[in-house]
Amino acid sequence: MPTILAYVAVQNGSPSRGSLEVLSRARQIAENQGAICAACVLTADASSVVGELGRYGAQKVYAVNNPVFRQHINAPVLAALEAMIGHAQPSLVVFPSSEGVKDVLGALAVRTGASVLPDVASFEMKDGAVEALRPVMAAKFMARTRAEGALVLVSVRAGSYEATESPAEATIEEIPFSFDQSALRQTLREIVGSTAGAIDLADAQVVIAAGRGVKDEAGKQLVEELAEVLGAGIGSSRAVVESGMFPATAQIGQTGKVVSPDLYIGVGISGAIQHVAGMSNSRTIVAINTNPDAPIFDVATYGIVGDLYKVLPILIEEIKKKKTVAT
Amino acid sequence: MKFCVCIKQVPDVTAPIQIRDGALSMDAGRVVLNAYDASAVEEALVLTEATDDEVDVVLIGPDRATETIRKALAMGAARGTHLVVPESTELDSAAVSKILADRFEGHSYDVILTGKQAQDTDAGLGGGMLAERLGLPFATNAVGLAIEGNQLIVTRQGDTGQEILAIPTPCLVTCSNDMNNPRIPNLKGVMGAKKKPVDSAPLADIPSAAVRVLGFESLPTRSPGRFIEGETAEQVAELVGLLELS
Repeated sequence: MPTILAYVAVQNGSPSRGSLEVLSRARQIAENQGAICAACVLTADASSVVGELGRYGAQKVYAVNNPVFRQHINAPVLAALEAMIGHAQPSLVVFPSSEGVKDVLGALAVRTGASVLPDVASFEMKDGAVEALRPVMAAKFMARTRAEGALVLVSVRAGSYEATESPAEATIEEIPFSFDQSALRQTLREIVGSTAGAIDLADAQVVIAAGRGVKDEAGKQLVEELAEVLGAGIGSSRAVVESGMFPATAQIGQTGKVVSPDLYIGVGISGAIQHVAGMSNSRTIVAINTNPDAPIFDVATYGIVGDLYKVLPILIEEIKKKKTVAT
Repeated sequence: MKFCVCIKQVPDVTAPIQIRDGALSMDAGRVVLNAYDASAVEEALVLTEATDDEVDVVLIGPDRATETIRKALAMGAARGTHLVVPESTELDSAAVSKILADRFEGHSYDVILTGKQAQDTDAGLGGGMLAERLGLPFATNAVGLAIEGNQLIVTRQGDTGQEILAIPTPCLVTCSNDMNNPRIPNLKGVMGAKKKPVDSAPLADIPSAAVRVLGFESLPTRSPGRFIEGETAEQVAELVGLLELS
């Protein structure tokens, strides 16, 4: 029986949301193709996530347990994925399109002789090949692309598919793996501006995104207060990252993070197409901007034409009230 | 350190582009140096400024792409290699990396740089593929580079923060446009570029592509939303009423 493999990234002991999305999609494809849906995990200890992966439909979990995977270093990740693919012999491997995956996908394709469709918005099996729609030309258009080959790798943009449960009895199979530290060649010295502990933008159910309209420390504080009352992650446009007001990890867009929260609130953000490419899968989009012609209003569910410095203080108070009544 | 930067000519994505019969139509026909590659060229120039080392560039593309090599030379690169393919040749990332890997055989560069992706395809695979074919250690999505002895210190944008890596040379790094602001060539640079050597030769073997583009489509549109009218307090009250907050 052929195998469809979903790559699961583990963050703080749990599968990332994007991983559960691709696992759900892999399960649908496996059902249609009469294939086995399997997950693969590189982590220090996979036993803690097996139950959850089974709940999302993984019939099998291939695991490489090694402390080297606590941080992302591409050489051991590549070696482990190569071993995993050699062992599971999948016809298709589906990845969440994270920075860690983007780092290794090209090299992995060469090493395993696979064809690869990166950063797709949707994909399906068609006439023995994989067809996908992927944004191109700075996210102005979709290209319909087709990959042939015995092994195809696909990475999927966050929010392209819903994570849906479909319980299966997952069995775990540990893949033997040893990594010679001296063969590592590159060393990770440190991670700066780490958002560890804070709400991860890619996993957040609510995202507040700050644009050029957020001009100063007072504006930044309003954004942070709104994020706090909503339990939201904070994102921003490229211009605001460049100004140094928010860290580079906050950048949403074609060259930054792709977010797909239940609620996205764009604050003083114009909605350049490169930014919209990173948030247009959000369920509800609220835009607050002084300029009624700002392109963000073309994708917004609800638009408020107004000054964020006047709107946010009232919005923060109203949300606090609503939350108090609800609890 | 000897640097070589792999560059690409791409359509100007800021120019008007339409879809006609599933194909992209660019009436303006403007083409530019891929912005991510421009950052790679800039970084190579900055890192070699204080030394006698030179920066080479290599490009795969049709005849008209020579102007993009001249752009990199005008910025300050020393010489270019143009691997000429017929107009509208379909190359996927695997084919591009294969051609470049063949080209790098017999050359001894300390650092190969390229953009993290091309603005037209946004695939971001070529760098990692090339590094793997050449057996080089590599890093992608770099936002900062420094030389320390015989290794490169790479700051890359990762999922949870900026990862600072030490990589021995020879190595390959793909560059983000957040790395720097590429210089605009001055008149002297433009004039000087005309005299710099460009080794141009048609490519004999063009690998076939396993990944093909079948056609182009418009982006899916969202169902239209609405403006919330009224005084600020009324707008906010209505909005909060509409939101499902858990």
